[in-house]
Amino acid sequence: MSVSETVEVEGHIIDSLILAKVLDVIVDAGADYRMVDVHIGRTSGDPSRARLEVTAADDEALAALLAELKVHGANRAAEVDALTEPAEVDGVLPVGFYATTNLPTQVRMGGHWVDVDNPEMDCALVVRPDGRVRTVPMHRVRAGDPVVVGQGGVRVQALERPRGANPFEFMNSEVSSEKPKEQLVGRVAERIKMTKGAGGKVLAVCGPAVIHTGAGPDVADLVRAGIIDVLFAGNGFATHDIESNVLGTSLGVPLGDGLPPEGGHSNHLRVINEVRRRGSIAGAVADGYITGGVMFECVQHGVPFVLGGSVRDDGPLPDVYTDVVEAADAMRAELPGVAVALMLASTLHAIATGNVLPAGVETYCVDINQAVVTKLADRGSHQALGIVTDVGLFVHTLAQHLL
Amino acid sequence: MSELPWGRRFLMCPPEHFGVLYEINPWMHREVAVDLDRARHQWGELVATLVEAGAEVELLDSQPELPDLVFTANAGTVNNGRYVPSRFRHPNRQPEVDHDIAWFTEHGFDVAPLPEGIGHEGAGDALPFRGVFLSGYRSRSDAGAHGPLSALLGAPVRPIELVDERLYHLDLTFCPLDDRRALVAPHAWDSYGRKVVEALVPEPFVLEDDEMLAFCANSVVVGTTVVMPACPPRVGRQLERWGFDVVPVDVSEFLKAGGGCRCLTLALDVSVGPQAGDAPPPSSESEAAR
Repeated sequence: MSVSETVEVEGHIIDSLILAKVLDVIVDAGADYRMVDVHIGRTSGDPSRARLEVTAADDEALAALLAELKVHGANRAAEVDALTEPAEVDGVLPVGFYATTNLPTQVRMGGHWVDVDNPEMDCALVVRPDGRVRTVPMHRVRAGDPVVVGQGGVRVQALERPRGANPFEFMNSEVSSEKPKEQLVGRVAERIKMTKGAGGKVLAVCGPAVIHTGAGPDVADLVRAGIIDVLFAGNGFATHDIESNVLGTSLGVPLGDGLPPEGGHSNHLRVINEVRRRGSIAGAVADGYITGGVMFECVQHGVPFVLGGSVRDDGPLPDVYTDVVEAADAMRAELPGVAVALMLASTLHAIATGNVLPAGVETYCVDINQAVVTKLADRGSHQALGIVTDVGLFVHTLAQHLL
Repeated sequence: MSELPWGRRFLMCPPEHFGVLYEINPWMHREVAVDLDRARHQWGELVATLVEAGAEVELLDSQPELPDLVFTANAGTVNNGRYVPSRFRHPNRQPEVDHDIAWFTEHGFDVAPLPEGIGHEGAGDALPFRGVFLSGYRSRSDAGAHGPLSALLGAPVRPIELVDERLYHLDLTFCPLDDRRALVAPHAWDSYGRKVVEALVPEPFVLEDDEMLAFCANSVVVGTTVVMPACPPRVGRQLERWGFDVVPVDVSEFLKAGGGCRCLTLALDVSVGPQAGDAPPPSSESEAAR
């Protein structure tokens, strides 16, 4: 992970070539810079001023570079410790609280930069009694928690852009339906293999279309093979997965011949009802009511799943979190270790997941609708690579690559 | 061609307490004894030569245990009646500052100190030329001083990196002669500094290494008289061709401490910047940026 620091240089830095020299020193040291702010004096008597964000490979390289820059008059911009204010009541942040991004974040306390434990966007930063700093969603803050306020003493680190012939290079391409899918899927499969090899977890976020498009058995295979480690979905996905395995239909339509049987529209309600009778999906599996499918494999292989509810849910299944705040917290609890996220034909759950994911998690958003992919990026999950294609085709091809 | 608009009034300090008592530059060796009588004589010769050339000399009292107070070029930087005291990097020289400030206060100068924590060694590292101050940094002065110094002096300051530790002050590498000419020692500067001086000086005379190390650039110019610690033939010929009278003055006792003629003087009549009615500098921050 690269590290950055802001430096300032002031005076007749143009005519004296000091600015040119400072920039050369940075580049010669193999580091990079971004001009944050430059003010050029209008006349020869007016001083100029430049503020640069310098990024080096690691702390040691940055320290050496800063020492060299200091010689040429470029000093670290004045730094202050972060300010905190105690939350007055549970669930309410102090006015002026620092609102987080999903990027790796550091907070300066007692003159030292401390890494934030769990980057997550749209949260607050709370300093723990042991000096660690955590992101905390608004509703979880408790009266008296010291909450970071203002922008001072907080910095975020831009993620390194992959360079060169990196398998991840294709990440920076725009979302488009005009890309060769086979190749893309192959590369995603490679990334998943690398992640698994390095001990990272793979999260799948599934929408009901995964089942409707016939991709259920492939996802089930990926769970069984230990490739998918965590599953996030809603009532619909789990219901149709179970329905398709128990009754052979998805929302009443047989996955075999596609001809709707009489009364098929109520199939999913009957399935939900039977699972509710057994207390939980695990109970229905233990009872022998569910004998296959994604949820079955999750239960059988101890793969954690979080089913988030919504207002329009039928039933819902007993495992569904009907309190959205609890659902989001349950999702957060499953995130440690997740390195790759597959968003499969899910709009609401994909965005909900994007909200709680650190920016460092490789995210692939697969949807037939380009708008979903764009929406995810627009909401701050800039790390998401969009693949516009039929999810059934995608999952099937991915499974072929991985199994 | 016109003479330098400054260099008719100097501050000097008699060498009553001069000696090499510590080593803060490559020329100083404590085992080399200073002949104080000889030093007094050489210093007297320098004063006489400057006066003969038409300059006034003001005196700063010498102080026990401040052997380098004799090098008044490092007392501070003067412009338009304002005096910016030096802030020395070496603790040995730091006590000089109080004496310098007392003199300038008593003599009606507007004393304007640099912000805390920023080092700069005065006219030794800041020489005016064509409307700007060139300022040496790295060995003794901080590059970061040039912004505040410029604000205090009311004139542009362009820092030049000194890369040869033997030439630890700018005044060992650069000597303005008139409004177009200067002795320059580019080997003592980094590539950026060379470009800056090249852009500023229309007619430079480039010193060879041996000339540079003979402290040729550490000369005092009074009108058309150049008072030099040494004058190698090539330099002398060129200066005479340009119409200068060259007067070598033996300051060998002071060279033991790494200082020559210029180091022993501080020009009090420098006037650079908007109030001075100078020719405008050859470029401006905004033009250069374009």
